[in-house]
Amino acid sequence: MSAEVFSVFYQFADVFAFLILSAAGLAIVFGMMGVINMAHGEFIMCGAYVTVGLVNLGVPLAIAQILAALTAGLIGVAVEFLIVRRFYKRPLDSLLATWGLSLIVTQSMLLIVGSAVRGIGTPEGSFAIGGYTFSTYRLVLFGCAVAVLGGLYIVFMKTRFGVIARATMQNAAMAKALGARTGRIYSISFGIGTGLAGLCGALYAPTMTLIPTMGATFVVESFVTVVIGGANVLLGTAPAAVFLAIIRMALNASYGQIIGQIGMLVAVILIIRVLPEGLSSVLVRRGR
Amino acid sequence: MALVEVKGVSKRFGGLTAVSDVDLTVNAGEVHCLIGPNGAGKSTLFKLIVGLYPPSQGSILFDTVDITAERPYARVQRGMSIKMQAPSVFKELPVRQNIQIALQERLSGAERIAEEDRLLTLLNLGPDSDKLAGALSHGQQQWLEIGMALALKPQLLLLDEPTAGMSPEETFKTGELIKSFNAEGMTVLVVEHDMAFVRQVAQRVTVLHLGKIFARGDLESILQDAKVAEIYLGKTHAH
Amino acid sequence: MFKLLEGPQTLGRGKIFWSCFLAVLAGALTYPLFADSYDVGNFAYFLIWIFMALGLCLMWGYGGMLSFGQTLFFGIAGYGYGVLAINMGGGTATIAALALSVVLAMVAAGILGYFMIWGGINGIFFGIVTLSATLVLAFFLGQTAGPEWHIGPARLNGFNGMKGMDPLAVGDFYIEGSALYYVMIALIVIVYLALRMLVNSGIGNVIVATRENPQRAEMLGYDVRKYQLLTFVIGSGLAGLSGALYTSWGQFITPSSIGLPAAAMPIVWVAFSGRSDLTATLVGSFLLLFGFQTITVYSQQAALVLMGALLLATVMLAPQGFVLGIGKLAADWWSGRRPRDDGAVMAEAGRLQSEES
Repeated sequence: MSAEVFSVFYQFADVFAFLILSAAGLAIVFGMMGVINMAHGEFIMCGAYVTVGLVNLGVPLAIAQILAALTAGLIGVAVEFLIVRRFYKRPLDSLLATWGLSLIVTQSMLLIVGSAVRGIGTPEGSFAIGGYTFSTYRLVLFGCAVAVLGGLYIVFMKTRFGVIARATMQNAAMAKALGARTGRIYSISFGIGTGLAGLCGALYAPTMTLIPTMGATFVVESFVTVVIGGANVLLGTAPAAVFLAIIRMALNASYGQIIGQIGMLVAVILIIRVLPEGLSSVLVRRGR
Repeated sequence: MALVEVKGVSKRFGGLTAVSDVDLTVNAGEVHCLIGPNGAGKSTLFKLIVGLYPPSQGSILFDTVDITAERPYARVQRGMSIKMQAPSVFKELPVRQNIQIALQERLSGAERIAEEDRLLTLLNLGPDSDKLAGALSHGQQQWLEIGMALALKPQLLLLDEPTAGMSPEETFKTGELIKSFNAEGMTVLVVEHDMAFVRQVAQRVTVLHLGKIFARGDLESILQDAKVAEIYLGKTHAH
Repeated sequence: MFKLLEGPQTLGRGKIFWSCFLAVLAGALTYPLFADSYDVGNFAYFLIWIFMALGLCLMWGYGGMLSFGQTLFFGIAGYGYGVLAINMGGGTATIAALALSVVLAMVAAGILGYFMIWGGINGIFFGIVTLSATLVLAFFLGQTAGPEWHIGPARLNGFNGMKGMDPLAVGDFYIEGSALYYVMIALIVIVYLALRMLVNSGIGNVIVATRENPQRAEMLGYDVRKYQLLTFVIGSGLAGLSGALYTSWGQFITPSSIGLPAAAMPIVWVAFSGRSDLTATLVGSFLLLFGFQTITVYSQQAALVLMGALLLATVMLAPQGFVLGIGKLAADWWSGRRPRDDGAVMAEAGRLQSEES
């Protein structure tokens, strides 16, 4: 019996981790700046490629993954400085600009690197409960997703940066008037967002085939999670991921991955009809 | 005969009760002013009548039909016409097209163009009719929006602080305009805190204070009401 | 009714504009007489996509709804045409298949649009919900390689795509080559002029009013949601027309014409051209398609990198669009010589400048 229960939890954890890891970076950038980073998938791809490249050079996996996340974060800071910064007053244009960037990056990668890169294979290791075998790495991913949420909670609720960042999020003009360097806050937030995207790519790199267009695999999940979750990462994205993971898990188990994805999309479209401001509006209202 | 009946309407925002158990009747053919100090709930009540907020309690009737659940466009189709507080025009469209969009459901062809010309002249916007609405001065945008509201030829004209940002002369002209339309049979409900303007146009007055009806009556009796003077003086002292 | 061909919502008016229009049309009509059939076929191929661009221009430039779902409806109608043409047999039935597949795309747009518009989705979220739906359809079709995925005798065939449907035909006469080219030209003229009339009509007035200030439009008694849905259904239906024509043109369609990067292409064409004007979109999209096809012969990736760079450059340098910007310069120069049109051009220029706010 407990084996079945654990199996359900395991499936839930697998989907939940995927949703949180792919959406967290996008949600932070959207929550802080109201910008949807269409190149989000390319930062994920960047994280994956750097990880695989470093591992092939002999760097241990975990260190390669951390370095990959940092790389994506630094590139994100540069992209914010060069492009995104100009568009904070024109969110739709920032969407287009980052989409242009996404096209440039994906297609250049196809030109330069080609489509096939030698993968590194999922770290071995599995354990059995009852008659079922489970991959340890999948649980590590779940642990990472929870750690990301915990880390964000600490950064945004417990640090000085977090206080200023939340103030900027609420009212950028006021925060600026009170001396917050909103420009720097935005750079750092964008960097955290793209760094988390890089982390997502780094963590999933061992589990999938590396192609320059792999970012597309993640974007639907990250988009719908942010659409449902709204602007608040902790109060929105996390519950949205729980909710979507339950739907997805149930459908995946009975009908397979693609029906799971379609079902998730349909659920999202139905929810926006009922809750136009996203799930977080309900949670925040209840919280008051 | 009552054209608008607000019955026991309340509106709460979270813990704040902006409008509390308000009854209000606007009779057909009158100019009715809704006054009160800042924060009295005038604008909230206005938005409830217009349909921008659903009330937390109570019902709103227009021409004896319950419209509480109707969206703003449906209320407009019943014969209401609305001018909001801040000028709200189609800024990137020419002035004439703004009027045209308001008129096109009612008139077409040469008749519509004649009515456009008449309204533009009435509002002193004739020379600017090809300009973009966003290029007009603040006062002119207020006029344009009043013109759009009038273009619908409504039974009931709802105006939220129509003279905000206008010079005294413009305010006076607006008052005369409202009176002339009232003389042709249009009912008008105005939210206003410029007392000179209220004196100029009002026939009946309702005073809101802290979300509740504080006093109501014809213009003269309200002007002489000592308690009303007090809440207004209180407001003056606070400044 | 033809008065509506000109109006405040469209650039280009007067004898000179329409003379140019007729000259271009005459050139297009005589082109197959002195070009070889391969080039005519290529030309027809560029024209396929124009409908999709015009549809996006209507939704985005006029209606203020940035849909990233043009290839979603392209795909629905494209696969729809395939399934219907295979199931109903060739010949004149293909005309019905074309019409039905466009209706199918419009019904799908109606359903998706209802949930989004009545749910109050707009701005950025409108884009990402439509894009999510687009990508999910592409992923789904990519998974349909197995023989169990078929509708009647029509196999969906996964990434390799559906094939084997007849092209458009009347009786025994296949509409291909020059014939298809002339059908395209006729359809483009009809769609272009019809859209001009639509946006300059009373409905068009409400569509732009809703873009400018939805609350004010509602306060004038318009149920703006219905106008938005109408705009979305027409714009998406035009993408559907492109899709059905595409399948008929090449007798195949694959999921790659739905997913990324295909979904970005209409955005690039319309943004680069100038979304706020139909004529600019028509001209600009054609030029971009021509350029894209020329480069694709050497390297598709390079062509796509260029498209991405153009999108980025447009947003950074000319947010209103390059073709429109050049058109405006030309109009300013012209009105400088002929003050008669001054007011109209100024109104136009002002409208475009302040659009962003």
